[in-house]
Amino acid sequence: MNALADTLFAGEEKDILQEVMNIAFGQASADLAEVIDIFVILSVPDIQVVRDCDLPDYFRQEISCSGSVHIIEQSFLGKFSGQALLIFPSGAEKDLLKLFNSNNELGQIDIDIDTLEQETLMEVGNILIGACIGKIAELLQDIVTYDPPRLLAQDFSLQQASCAPVAKGSFAISIRTVFRFEQQNVEGYLFLITNQHSITWLKKALHAFLEAYE
Amino acid sequence: MLQTILIVDDSPVARMIMKKCLPAGHNLTIFEAGNGQQGVEQYERHRPDLTFMDLTMPVMDGFEALRRIKQINPQAVVIVATADIQEKVLQRVATFGALYTLKKPPTKEALAQALERGAAALQQVSS
Repeated sequence: MNALADTLFAGEEKDILQEVMNIAFGQASADLAEVIDIFVILSVPDIQVVRDCDLPDYFRQEISCSGSVHIIEQSFLGKFSGQALLIFPSGAEKDLLKLFNSNNELGQIDIDIDTLEQETLMEVGNILIGACIGKIAELLQDIVTYDPPRLLAQDFSLQQASCAPVAKGSFAISIRTVFRFEQQNVEGYLFLITNQHSITWLKKALHAFLEAYE
Repeated sequence: MLQTILIVDDSPVARMIMKKCLPAGHNLTIFEAGNGQQGVEQYERHRPDLTFMDLTMPVMDGFEALRRIKQINPQAVVIVATADIQEKVLQRVATFGALYTLKKPPTKEALAQALERGAAALQQVSS
């Protein structure tokens, strides 16, 4: 975690937060694999606290993609609230569609291919974000509801981004994981952006999580 | 009878939870490692009776650490502890010689059972 995180979270809180995210993302991988029958590999979640004005630079730094990207956004609301941003390099939608359409069943549906690819991006977002957020909420005894996912930006150049697609706030807790679907070697980035309002609750919930083992 | 265990996990909280879940009054000597590479080194140094191995870790992941520990000692008793219990993960760690996979976060009951199974496996390879 970075220096800004040190001002918000005490040493033990950072360690608990990291472990909760490790467990949540690990369990989410397993659930996802069951739903879509694909081996999903998620990296160790990296947690940073970033001021909202610094988010464009942060995204550029964290995402190793020189071309354009698609951004899927889904808001979640509970005691732990925020926005999930799922970012794929442009072109990944074709590979993702293949994952879901191995038997070419979608070819029989009367929808144009562009719409199908967009729908695939959103459905992958829905599953991935729901699995990760759902596990975090479960571990921290929270209940969250979700807005429908939406394609926030298509073929978007991060190099030209000047403002972050998130609500204004003094800072954001960003939890980044890189995930890979083994069969198609598709990589994407998931950022969970939450705000100051969630932090007071989050700190209490982290302590409660550990106290359960006392 | 287990005397020494090694807990390999990059998260100090995960290691702490694991230790808190151990049965009260245990007489185990506990060694710890913060990533797979340290885990292999600690294994070589201490030759613990039982190793708990996380999978997703920096520097060296648990799959590789498990593989190397089994190269050092094919009889090593290793229980993988992970939240990611995908079928392919279970298959892969079984192929590499893990005793079985313990789901994280562990419970006291699950850990007591893991120690029992670890002790039984140790007895089997010792006899």
